[in-house]
Parts: sequence; structure tokens; C-alpha cells
Amino acid sequence: MILQALHGYYERLLDENRVVPQGFQKKEIPFVIVLDAEGKFVDLEDTRSGEGRNRRTGRFVVPQSVERTGDNAWQKANLLWDHKGYVVGHSDTDHATAKKQHESFLGRIREVLKGLPDEGVKAVTRFLEIGDFQGILAHPTWRDVVAKGGSLSFRLSDETLLVCERPAVRQRVAAVATSVESGTPPQACLITGESAVPARTHSPIKGVRRKNKTTTRAKIVSFKLPAFGSYGKQQSLNAPMGRRAEFSYTTALNTLLDRDSHQKLIVGDSTVIFWTERRHEIESVFANFFGEQEKGVPVQDHKQILALYRAPESGVRPELDPTIRFYILGLVAPNEARIAVRFWYTGPVREVAENIGAHFDDLEIAAPPKWSPYLSIRTLLRAIATRNDLDTVPPNLAGDTMKAILVGTSYPSPLLAAAIRRIRAEQSQKDPRTGTLTPNVTYARVALIKAILVRDTRIGGPFRLNAGKEVGMSLDIGNTNVGYRLGRLFAILEKTQEEASPGINATIRDRFYGAASATPIAAFPHLMKLKNHHLTKIENRGRAINIEKLIGEIMDGITDFPVHLSLQDQGRFAVGYYHQRQRLFGN
Amino acid sequence: MSEQKAASRPFRLRVWGRNACFTRPEMKVERVSYDVMTPSAARGVLEAILWKPAIRWIVERIDILNPIRWESVRRNEVDIKMSPNTNGFWIDDIGNDGKPKHRQQRAGLFLRDVDYVIHARFEATDLAGPDDNPTKFQEMFLRRAEKGQCFHRPYLGCREFAADFAPITNGEPLPQPLEQTPDLGFAQPRDLGWMLYDVFHDRSADTSHVHTCTDECRPGFFTARLDMGQLRVPPPDSPEVRR
Repeated sequence: MILQALHGYYERLLDENRVVPQGFQKKEIPFVIVLDAEGKFVDLEDTRSGEGRNRRTGRFVVPQSVERTGDNAWQKANLLWDHKGYVVGHSDTDHATAKKQHESFLGRIREVLKGLPDEGVKAVTRFLEIGDFQGILAHPTWRDVVAKGGSLSFRLSDETLLVCERPAVRQRVAAVATSVESGTPPQACLITGESAVPARTHSPIKGVRRKNKTTTRAKIVSFKLPAFGSYGKQQSLNAPMGRRAEFSYTTALNTLLDRDSHQKLIVGDSTVIFWTERRHEIESVFANFFGEQEKGVPVQDHKQILALYRAPESGVRPELDPTIRFYILGLVAPNEARIAVRFWYTGPVREVAENIGAHFDDLEIAAPPKWSPYLSIRTLLRAIATRNDLDTVPPNLAGDTMKAILVGTSYPSPLLAAAIRRIRAEQSQKDPRTGTLTPNVTYARVALIKAILVRDTRIGGPFRLNAGKEVGMSLDIGNTNVGYRLGRLFAILEKTQEEASPGINATIRDRFYGAASATPIAAFPHLMKLKNHHLTKIENRGRAINIEKLIGEIMDGITDFPVHLSLQDQGRFAVGYYHQRQRLFGN
Repeated sequence: MSEQKAASRPFRLRVWGRNACFTRPEMKVERVSYDVMTPSAARGVLEAILWKPAIRWIVERIDILNPIRWESVRRNEVDIKMSPNTNGFWIDDIGNDGKPKHRQQRAGLFLRDVDYVIHARFEATDLAGPDDNPTKFQEMFLRRAEKGQCFHRPYLGCREFAADFAPITNGEPLPQPLEQTPDLGFAQPRDLGWMLYDVFHDRSADTSHVHTCTDECRPGFFTARLDMGQLRVPPPDSPEVRR
């Protein structure tokens, strides 16, 4: 289904004129050799523009690259473009191989473009046959070719198209690519069901993240090691797929994973791509729901946008049809050479919009000023990561979280434990730069805890037990859950201390948060005694009485401090603490 | 036997398990399962309980009782195969870099909590002798299935996902899906695309009961469609099965 959906997407892209046809690929060509009509060297052009890290290389539509590995790789040259070994027979170390490569390069042009009456091809052939490359080697840009590497191609001096982009060449290449290969008998293709000659190897997929590296070049369908094959089949005959289908699914994938793609998200270790069955506006805004909020851009009201896609079928603009299917594919590259599917989700746009909307509802909690009410999935994951380092998030957790949001199921259970662990681990931790104490009960953590608890109560997940009234968006004085109440109490005790000794370095939070939330009986009796001392120090008597009253209200109904709080009650403790603190500072 | 291939009466077998992986051929390295049980997996379950050269199982329908749920797992596997031509090897060999030599970490996207009803019958093959009549095998199958007997433990796609099974006897009501979700094809039929039907083996190279796979052993595919929680399986020789 995954590859079939990708195949369908390619057909769509082809209709919309957004992909190259079979036999071609988009390729960065940093260097172009400019020739005149006689095949004489004119110039060596550098197509890169911009500065520093953002420097971008010109992209061209070139004949598809050949697969080459192993000892005989020199025999396989790309048509009219390749690296310097093939194009001019130059190598820094291995001159013999470079010479052989160069011969294959010329051979390939002669073989594929035989008898083609095209000026460009003639010029290139003549240039290569004469083989006088002094002009190129002496050119100032040549130093970059040697240092940076990359591909070279050809252009005629009075044209803008590369030689391999000239109409006659393209026609020939397309004809060769779609012609039926002899040798292998046709088989039913598992994507289209049609009888076709199966592709032996599949094109590599670029752009899936692997351990913080930007891109990787790997395959999603490959059968390299002996244990991967079955029934005595070699390579991709294990999964017969016609060449056309193979081309379309790899092209669709590579388009979605492209550097410029707006249909790609990085979530933890997974690279997530998404697309719709037919053209639908959600494709262009979906990334915003989960991506980082851009600085300076006003916060979008996601709920309003989502409500649009949940609209009834009748009377909506065709591009908002909520029954169109939405596909989401999470990929990871656990090995150098292979890509694995982490998750795959498909459902009507309406369902996706509903599930995302429910996620934002669950997550919603009184936000501190200057914070967006919509936390990105990266912010959420960073909140449970050690040292804010996303790489410390367990490998499956990010993908599972994303999946839970999209499918509308319980959030993965390790999330709650992780959030509480981070809160406890970071109490009394100092910011290494400023030396001030870092807040541990952060907005993102509390929002996450709240979402987990609320969702589990709603849909009956693993943490639903012992819920009573669930935690809300902001302070709920009617909530009688002991965890929630103790959280509130703790916030007030801390505030009392702060008012008694303004500018104090470490508060009770830094020493007692962990104990208070996990084993209240070990912390609260002591804290209550401390509070009495603090109250006597507060000069404003009215204030002191108010605090006393507030504490009395919260303690109403709590006769004994519990011996310990369950994980979910520790979560409610954090939420109660956060809510109360927001209120104290809001006033 | 008569010239018409003798067929058995229909059987219904319920199979269920904690996990399942009906591996898609295109994603069998980093495994991804089909959404539902494939006909060949169902055949495998039936053959685990009863198989004789004289019969061949034909799966006709598979009912899906549980909603389709997924689980992703990463695990270590061995990357080589034993073959008669090797002198053998130790799978725990350590390479020069001090790491296990034959290990590969492979990811898998498996199904979770599956429950199916397989509807099938068997027909006689060319190897059926004069004493092999369908009634004999029918009785054998029912007896074995009821007692939980099997040649090897039936499994759900992969050996490690053992299946529990129980026959549904005549007159017993068919179990119904737990929830009538759209992904089981309840609101409208759900198209699953081309699904593996089975591998059709080429027997021409076989010698003395030993099958050797050739290039002519071809997988067959059919368009799978879920309708009201049911996957209808076409007969193996029908034009719907492409190979």
C-alpha cells in the first residue's frame, strides 16, 4: 500500500508537471564545460551561487544516473554528465582507472546517441575525441573542481540548456528508458499488477536522516545479504516490480524527501513525509502544525485552520474535500544502506484534522506570556530530553508520539514517566551560563502531562484509573484530587517563603520538590512547620492571613498526607503546582 | 477418484495471537506487514494442522475480527543462510572488529492483537491415491483441530508469532468483528491494493520429492479488498490472480 500510494502520487506529480519523466533525474551540477559549435573549449563555469553554508548549486534535469559499485564500476558512465574522472579522465591518485572511466564515458555517448543529428552532441563528441583538456586544467575554476568534487556537464556557448537537456537528446533518452529490456521475462508487478519486466535493482532514496547527519543515500527495497532472499530469487526479483513502477515510487519518495520539500518533517529520529491522494490544501499547512514556530511570524490559529478541513462534504471548495485520503509515512535509517518504515498512517483528511485538533485540545493549558498556545512536537520532545538534547529521546518514542497524535490513541506510556523524571532531575539545577536556577516545572512539560492525563481519561488509556475530575486548562479550585491539591499547596508554600525572604537563592522547590511529589508524608509535615516561620516574617499581616486562609482552603478534605503518590498523581501534582503558580503570579 | 477434483466441505478455523507479520515482499528486509492476513499465511496455518500430498488447501475468505493495530520493533537477526554447500558456520562468530559477524539490526512494523476466521476447503491433488477420499481427510482435520494437534505450531506470518487456533463447528455462529471500523471496510469497501496470493512453484526441476526453486517459481498477486470485515480470496486459477 505504501509503494502503491507513492506510485499514485507520482502520477499526480506528473500531471502537475512537478517531476521529471522516466529516464531523467534532477541533479546538482556545480561545474559546466562551455564549448563552441566546433567542440573547442570556451569556459569552465561555476553554477554555485550564494555564500558560505547556504551556497547552492545549480540543478539540472539530466539523464538518470547509473548504478555502479564494485570493481567494474569504471565501465558504467552517466550520459553527458559525471565526475571529472569520467568526463576528462582526471584523477588525483588512480590515473589508469580514470583513463578507463573516460573511455566508458565517450563510449556511452556513442552508444546511446548514435546517429543523432544534434549540434550539441557533435560538439561534445568532437571535444572528447580530440582529447585536448589543457584549457580546462589551466582554468582558475579547475582548482574548485579538484577540491570540491561534484559533477561536470556540457553546454554550448550560445545556449542556456545543457547539452543533455537539448530536446533531441531528451527524446532519445526517453525512448531508451521506456523501451522493453530483453532477457528477463515479464512478471506481474506488485504495484500495478500489470505484466512488466521487473527492475533488478532500485534507485537509492536520499534525504532520510541518520543520526543527525543531514542526508543518507539508502534503499527502501533491497535484498543485499543472503538471508534477505527467498525461493532462490536474486536481488529485487524477490519483490517483482516493473521498471516504470520502480521509477515512479522512487521519484515520488525523492521528491517528498527533497531538501526544498515542504511535505517533510523531522520528528525525533524519524523523517516524516506526507501527501494527499488528490490535491488538497492541507498538504501545504500540515508541517506548520508540528514544525517549529518561526520567529516573527504571528501565531496561527491552528484550530481555525483545522476546523476548515473538518467541514462537511457538501458545499466545500473541491480542494478542501475532507474525504480525500491523507498519507503519512515515517521513515528511519537504522543502517547505512537501508531505510525502514517506522510508521504508516492513512485516513481521510477529516480524520487527520480531527485527531490533530484533539491533540491541541488536550495540550491546551494556560500559557505564560509570550508563549504560543501551540507547542510543536519538537518542543514537547525536547521537554522530556536530557540536557534539551533531542538525541537522548529513546528511538521509538518520537515516532510513537507522532503516531498517537495522528491516530488519536493514547500517548506512549513512557512519556509521562519521562516528563516527571525530567522535572525531578532538574530541580535545583543551575543554568551554567547565568548561574540562576532553571525552572523545572516548565510550560511544555506540564502541557504534555496534562495532555496525557486528559486523553487517557477521555479514551480510557492506561492512566485513566483513579482520575476523579480531570485537570483542566487553568486553576480548578474544585478539583479534589490529592495530587493536584498537594501541588497547589506546594506552590503556595514556595510563594510564602519567597515573600518572607525576598531574593532568596534556593527555595523549597529546589530541595523538596521530588520528595513532596513522590512521598508527601516525608516532606509536607516539615514544610508546614517551615511555613509558620515564614508567615511570621511577612510584614504585611493582611497578606499573611490571606495566605493562611488559602492554605486552609486547599487543605480542606486532606486529613493525612499520603505515603506516596502514583505516577499519574505525580503528574497531577505538577499540573496543580503549575496552575497555582500561574495564578499567584498572575494576580 | 473421479475426473472432477474432489473437494472437501468448507471449514472455518479461528486463529488469533499477540502479534503477526504478514510481510510485504517489497519490504521484507526492514519488515512491514500487510494490513491483514494473506491467503498464503492462512494456507500455512491450515497445513500446520493437516497436510498430505494428496490434498491442497484453498483459502476462500478471511474475516478480520479485531481493529488493525500496529507496533514497531527493532531486533537483531542473523544475516546469512545455511545451505547444503557450506561447511556450516557459527552464527555467534566474532569479526575482526570484535563485533558479531553475522548480525543485522532489522526494524519491523508488525500487527498487534490479531484475530481471524479462515474459511477454506481442500481439494484432491494428482497425488491422491485410490484410498484417499475427502471424507477421510475432513474427519482427520476436524479431529486434529479440535484436539489442538498440529505438525508444527501454526504461526501468523513469521515463525516467532505463534498462533492459537480453534475450529468453528457446523451450526456454531460466526464470530463478529469487535468494532465496525472504517479500516475494516465497514463504511465503504477498503482497497488494500495488490496483495501476495501465494508463490506458485515450478515442479519441473524437482527430483525425488525434493523441490528446488527456479526462476519459474512465481509469486501471484490479487487486488485485496476489505468489505464489512471480510477479505474475499479468489480461487488460485482465476484470472484475478496475476503472476
